[in-house]
Amino acid sequence: CTDLDVQPRNNLTPDVFFSTDDSYERFLTRIYAGLAVTGQAGPAGNADIKSLDEGFSSYLRQYWQLQELPTDEAVIAWNDDGLPDLVTQSWSSNNQFVRAMYYRVFFQVSMVNEFLREATDEKLDARGVSEEVVAQMPTFRAEARFLRALSYWHAIDLFGNVPFFTEDQAVGATAPRQAGRLEVLEYIQAELKEIEPLMAEPGTAAYGRADRAAVWMLQAKIGLNAPVYGATPAYNEVVDACNNIINSGAYALMDTYHHNFLADNDRSSEFIFSVNFDGEATQTFGGTTYLVHAALGGNMTDANYGVVGAWGGLRTTPSLVDLFPDETGNIDERAIFFTDGQTKAVGAINEFTNGYAVPKYQNVTSDGTAGQDPTFVDTDYPMFRFAEVHLIYAEAVLRGATNGDIATAVTLINLLRERAYDSAAGQITADELTLDFILDERARELYWEGHRRTDLIRFGQFTEKGIWAWKGNVAEGQETPTFRNVYPIPVEDLLSNPNLVQNDGY
Amino acid sequence: QGKVQGVATDENGEPLIGATVLLVGSSRGTATDFDGNYLLENVPSGEQQIRASYTGYADLTKTITVADGETITLDFTLGEDVEVLDEVVVIGYGSVRKEDATGVVAKVTTKDFNRGAIVSPEQLITGKVAGVQIAPGDGSPGGGSAIRIRGATSLNASNEPLFVVDGMPLDNEGTAGGRNPLNFINPSDIESFTVLKDASATAIYGSRGANGVIIITTKKGEAGSRPRVNYDGYYTVNELRGEPAMLDAGAFRDLVTFHAPSRLSQLGNANTNWFDETLRTAQGQSHNLSVSGGGQDYGYRISAGFQELEGIIRSSETERISYALNYNHKLLDGNLLINTNLRGARTQDVFDPGIGAAWELDPTQPVLDPANTAFGGYFEYGNPLAPRNPVSAIEQRQDLGQSFRNIGNMDMELKLDNLLEGLSLKGNVGFDINQGERTTFEPTTFVNTQVANYNGRVRVENFTRTNYLMDAYLKYQRSLNERNRLDLTVGYSYQDFNEEYPIFEGQNLPTDQFGANRPDIAEDVFPFNTSFENRLISFWGRAIYSFDDRYVLTATLRRDGSTRFGPENRWGLFPSAALAWRVLEENWAEGLNDLFSDLKFRVSYGVTGNQEIGDYRYLSQYAISDQRARYQIGYNADGTPIFINTARPDAYDAGLKWEETTSFNAGLEFGFGNGRISGSLEYYVQNTNDLLFDVNVAAGTNLSDRVLTNVGELQNSGVELSLTGTVVNTPELSWSLSGNIAYNRTEVLEISNIAGSGGILRGGISGGVGNNIQILRVGGEIDAFYVYEHILDENGNPVNDVADQPMYVDQNEDGVINEADRRLYQSPAPDIIYGLTSNLQFKGFDLAMTLRGAVGNYVYNNNASNRGFYNRITGLPGFMNNVHESALVTGFRNPQYFSDYYVEDASFMRLDNITLGYTFLPKRGVSSLRLYVTGQNLLVFTRYSGLDPEVGIGGIDNAPYPRPMGFIFGASLGL
Repeated sequence: CTDLDVQPRNNLTPDVFFSTDDSYERFLTRIYAGLAVTGQAGPAGNADIKSLDEGFSSYLRQYWQLQELPTDEAVIAWNDDGLPDLVTQSWSSNNQFVRAMYYRVFFQVSMVNEFLREATDEKLDARGVSEEVVAQMPTFRAEARFLRALSYWHAIDLFGNVPFFTEDQAVGATAPRQAGRLEVLEYIQAELKEIEPLMAEPGTAAYGRADRAAVWMLQAKIGLNAPVYGATPAYNEVVDACNNIINSGAYALMDTYHHNFLADNDRSSEFIFSVNFDGEATQTFGGTTYLVHAALGGNMTDANYGVVGAWGGLRTTPSLVDLFPDETGNIDERAIFFTDGQTKAVGAINEFTNGYAVPKYQNVTSDGTAGQDPTFVDTDYPMFRFAEVHLIYAEAVLRGATNGDIATAVTLINLLRERAYDSAAGQITADELTLDFILDERARELYWEGHRRTDLIRFGQFTEKGIWAWKGNVAEGQETPTFRNVYPIPVEDLLSNPNLVQNDGY
Repeated sequence: QGKVQGVATDENGEPLIGATVLLVGSSRGTATDFDGNYLLENVPSGEQQIRASYTGYADLTKTITVADGETITLDFTLGEDVEVLDEVVVIGYGSVRKEDATGVVAKVTTKDFNRGAIVSPEQLITGKVAGVQIAPGDGSPGGGSAIRIRGATSLNASNEPLFVVDGMPLDNEGTAGGRNPLNFINPSDIESFTVLKDASATAIYGSRGANGVIIITTKKGEAGSRPRVNYDGYYTVNELRGEPAMLDAGAFRDLVTFHAPSRLSQLGNANTNWFDETLRTAQGQSHNLSVSGGGQDYGYRISAGFQELEGIIRSSETERISYALNYNHKLLDGNLLINTNLRGARTQDVFDPGIGAAWELDPTQPVLDPANTAFGGYFEYGNPLAPRNPVSAIEQRQDLGQSFRNIGNMDMELKLDNLLEGLSLKGNVGFDINQGERTTFEPTTFVNTQVANYNGRVRVENFTRTNYLMDAYLKYQRSLNERNRLDLTVGYSYQDFNEEYPIFEGQNLPTDQFGANRPDIAEDVFPFNTSFENRLISFWGRAIYSFDDRYVLTATLRRDGSTRFGPENRWGLFPSAALAWRVLEENWAEGLNDLFSDLKFRVSYGVTGNQEIGDYRYLSQYAISDQRARYQIGYNADGTPIFINTARPDAYDAGLKWEETTSFNAGLEFGFGNGRISGSLEYYVQNTNDLLFDVNVAAGTNLSDRVLTNVGELQNSGVELSLTGTVVNTPELSWSLSGNIAYNRTEVLEISNIAGSGGILRGGISGGVGNNIQILRVGGEIDAFYVYEHILDENGNPVNDVADQPMYVDQNEDGVINEADRRLYQSPAPDIIYGLTSNLQFKGFDLAMTLRGAVGNYVYNNNASNRGFYNRITGLPGFMNNVHESALVTGFRNPQYFSDYYVEDASFMRLDNITLGYTFLPKRGVSSLRLYVTGQNLLVFTRYSGLDPEVGIGGIDNAPYPRPMGFIFGASLGL
């Protein structure tokens, strides 16, 4: 007897898996879930990414860390290998968090490519998939491409010139070539244009799935930052995208700012695209679970925030606090700081009590009920929030868009400020609407939402110019070399892929 | 007809009890009684031959003439026959005469075994064989060991040798049910260990031979011997050796007063030594009873054992009830030999929760806090980040493992001399069934939502591992003429492994009253299941050709097919060849006979494989997410979220193939002075190619960042020397010494995706998350420590983080101290391992000891690095953690995990055991009685600052189960 064909029992081979109609939705949902979960067993186990701790490999956790920790918005106390280096802008190409984000981005791209390879019309035909599924497939494929575009944008924003590969390169093929930042940017823009009509109408997709407004939002955000990537400014397109979203009427600002960050924020009217978590069904040590727990410590009572366990990690620097008229939130309700027992100054990075705590994300609902689970939170993450559309519109106009106007920009900004002040007290005039004001207002409105590094770079203040506590590894802060505007390509991939050239300075 | 009577004695005149006395040419025989006397009746008249035989002694045949009615007295004095014992060595699928052995084969028999309270069989030969490192994982009762024969040959696949018990290759993977999968074998049933080291010896096991093979031969009944009853038993006491370097309550109070006066209010009023509260003097006992004997054509042995051993951490325990049966029978005039073995055990382990928390908790806090009813009256902070009270864990948590493992096999040999002289057919069928359960119960007063996200927990794991074997082979063994001998074997083997692992976990218990019995009453239940199968099919052959007793040539070939590889790479071919030259048999070498009693040169070359990588790794597979890794897409009509179980395609490499180790060995066996000194010297080089390893692949080329694939090359090379000598050998006093020493170096030669300054970080440590202290890098040793070079101050102490100067050397001189400044520094693998055994006998006394050691093995002191800093008392809100004494020297405020200060030389020499025994002279009814006392692990010489320099193969000292020292009082009785 020489029979050596033994089939797996816990997993499915592709033939078996694709023999049912729901397989395509499961696969596509996995790509959405790739922004939230870290593997196929919650909260950890059967990891997607294997070269580091699974909890660290969360897309959202690392994206957030790379976007926030090196800025004036956040510091973190822990001594995990390479983590203090993020705060002080002294990372190397061996940094495990940089590596985590890098591989997570390309994991997403690989998943999308595989999906597109498996969801071709020919394969659907050959498998005898039902009419209903066949009908869904153009939208499914467009959504997958949207997610790929999103990740490629993160890739060029964080890493500059990156490996570039699409569904045309099969698994196990030769190492991908390195494409320039601008080339990938143009690819993303072309993709977004192509999928726009295929996506669901704004506000009509099932919660959690991307629709046409998400495409517009991505177009707007990319358009705003395109000059950083070497493209010719095209701010009119940014305004067009903003107008599309505003005019769709599918989104509205929430009455209370803070309700966007609580356990029942899945009902927020402001979310254009969210990453969803659930205390029971979507458990991970990354994502909002991290953002809620890590921000608690000192004299904070964890139960007040709907969780058990203060991880004693994240705080902010005085620079963010000083952007607000006062630190209590009584004037501007967006100032969500916990100050009891905390010093405003950050004398030591690894003392939780140094720097104000920021309980912006919480696992309690808007009516004060704790989330389902005390460890894993229900709070969703607003990847794209309508309030930002107001800010992007204003900035694009200030930067020279001709198809928008300052008056509309001021109105849009004042809508945000009226909500924040609960009155007209915070309103600004057209004269006060400057680019510097926009940068500060973005911090006030969008702090801890993963935008700050990109914003500072766009305004030329991430490395040169800007000074805040512990930047450059000194307590008072100092300027850093501009090569740190992009992260290094991790050593691992440089060694695996001979086509890659390291970013300057690393 | 007449009678023959007499007495059988050994050379010292001691009567031999139970010696067989046979009338040659008949089936008539008898056994000697307790005084060595025998009586053969009805001996036909005329010239007759009488043969006396006794195990371990040379047979003696005498010729007499019997007259009718006469009673003749015929005494026998039998000489010990060392030759007989050592004559044959087992190799895979057979055995050879020792002279014909061409591979590196080391045999350790009962008399050389380590003594002590030994649960796991492999510990019988710790320190006994050159180049075999048996590193106990920790000091838990019956804990597992890591075994490395000539270093590690693989990075991802297993490095453990293959165990073969009486011809049955074992599935040696652990299960949750017990601490060590080998524990089902009662050490007292073992006759010998044979360690096959080089490829010439192991290639017959093909794909499983790369890490060496350990063949365990168990005791058997002997045809023609009278029933013998043996009892072995001992009682043992164990306790901790050394003291953990944590502050006591007084010192801790002083430290807080000095460094953090604002926190004085958080101190308790107690003086608690958390180690005293969690450790104990442990006791144990063991009893083994065996009966063996046989008739004319059959032999049997039955044994039963009971062992119960407490661990020094309170609550930990192991208990084993074992049995073994052996029955062998010659049928068809000796042309059919059947040998059956059946053995099994129930092992029950009580697992302790560990004493990690004893290293953490503030020593001024009390053990009990009666007011704290939420935690069952134990002191607890009730903060998930704070350490838990270890006494509460020991007393409240239940963690029981139970495993039933049975293996059995029947091998048959049918001699087909009538077809072709020297031809025989052999068959072996066997099974290995391991079933068990692990149950964990944590009452609501132990785990509640103040410290975890559930209230009480029950977990039940059931597992079944089965393994069926069928071997069939043909043997042709014949002396062609005076000078040429031939031994040919060809065979087929089929082995199928199945594994099923259902787990049921219940969280949030409505009541603690059911203990672990009702996981179903939990509010939230989580069932899991894993199920695997793999199969190995093999064809193999071996030829041994011996010319004139001078030259022996062995060649083997195995073709293995494994389900773990894709159709293109499923079959692997593993050849080997070896040549031995017995110099003393040469005519010209006659002069050497005065000096040498043995002189043999050997060279061998062979290829072996490794496939221990888990199942289905070559296949494209979709993994479906579990209930806790679903994702919300939209809402149901009633407003509840819709969660979807997602599907993920896994990364895979369809082209996976066998890892291949090519080894070369050159050896010299020698004996001087009539065998008083004998030994061997070996040199080897082993290259492992197509190393199976999870490496980072170019982003975009697969479906994950790492894929298991064949990359790179690894080399082990070394020298081994074994020496055995008799120092004194008189009837009253004998003293023998045997020692072994081995040097090995393992180097990563190539990993295609890792070069230059890159590498794969390994060796996770306690402290922080995702912190790794070791690296795999081309040109480096495996798992070399990867650390900053700490700058020392004028007193030789590391510069601390309070001083205003850099702490670490800026290796790349870029002005920034970051990860790029870490460098390779030493490794956990020893350069040299050695063992020394001494056996002294004086009249009835015997004194034996085993010394063992290693040189050049380094350990990362994670206990110190994770606890030796003052932020332990200021860094966390609401509680303080105890501080490691090293902080008093370093003055570190924050942890310096990656400092080379914590990488310490852990070279050591250990007195593993020392035994003093006394054997009483045989008395009527008692053929042997020996009483002994053994000291285990009494002395360790080392410069390492932690509790014990042996911290497991990984070289990271992280509060393992401490290794005890102990005494054993035992008795052996033979009837």
